[in-house]
Amino acid sequence: MNTSFPTRGLIRPCTLVYALLIGLTCVTWMIGRSGVGGPGVSLLVLGFALLKGHLIGDWFMGLRDVRGIWRWVVAIWLLVPGGLIALAFLLSFRG
Amino acid sequence: MTAEAAIQQQRRGLAVPRFPPGDLAIWIFILAELLVFALFFAAYAFTRMQHIALFDRYQAMLNRDAALINTLALLTASYFVMRGVVAAREGQGRLCARWTWAAVGMGALFLVVKSSEYAHHLHAGINLSTNTFYMFYLSLTFFHFLHVILGMVILVAVALKAGRGGYTPEEHTGVETGASYWHMVDLVWLVLFPLVYVMK
Repeated sequence: MNTSFPTRGLIRPCTLVYALLIGLTCVTWMIGRSGVGGPGVSLLVLGFALLKGHLIGDWFMGLRDVRGIWRWVVAIWLLVPGGLIALAFLLSFRG
Repeated sequence: MTAEAAIQQQRRGLAVPRFPPGDLAIWIFILAELLVFALFFAAYAFTRMQHIALFDRYQAMLNRDAALINTLALLTASYFVMRGVVAAREGQGRLCARWTWAAVGMGALFLVVKSSEYAHHLHAGINLSTNTFYMFYLSLTFFHFLHVILGMVILVAVALKAGRGGYTPEEHTGVETGASYWHMVDLVWLVLFPLVYVMK
């Protein structure tokens, strides 16, 4: 397995990714605590979750260094339930 | 992978891998697990459409602070596991063991916090038949809870073997296999957390 983790610079890129994941999680939590809702907020929070999932797949699972269909397997998985959840929430707001 | 990174890898004499890290069998298992959770998530979202007021009311009663702690614990565990994989690739077995034990600690924190949430619900008389929201909330989160336990068992086995010097830079598939499963557990929670605790 040849997944590379660059270590040049003061901070490893994977550590920056971890910091970004923590930051997005805290923003999601603050949105939840504020009690705001609605289609825009829900889709924003869902978008954060899908972005975080993609970062986990790429940087932590090492898929960014894989070629072919396996490169996109997590991204595809995220889009399927993510799309269905977005559809359900949008329909509930329209109804 | 970017073209530049691929060229750099080829210059170092390394072929661009066709398959993800770890044993391919664990990835088939991971895909099956992800499919089940995807169905669970879709079922939650479409059932919510029929009971919006009920879902919003009981979602507001959940402990979001505990959910935040749990999310941070799982993300941190995933980071530690990934550092353990890097250490194994560099032939640092003891360092790999330390990172993996730290990840197990984060997993234990998740179990403690989630168990306290369940204890609170049970004390309040809440169970699967209380209402549709709690049926989904309890079954989804407990199904995930069981996956965390299995992930921790795998990580403990990896940490013990790494501590005994059981992995080398040439052969560390076991570390990558365990790590891949753990990241899947984290991945599922990253969708579950906003869906059940935040989105309304």
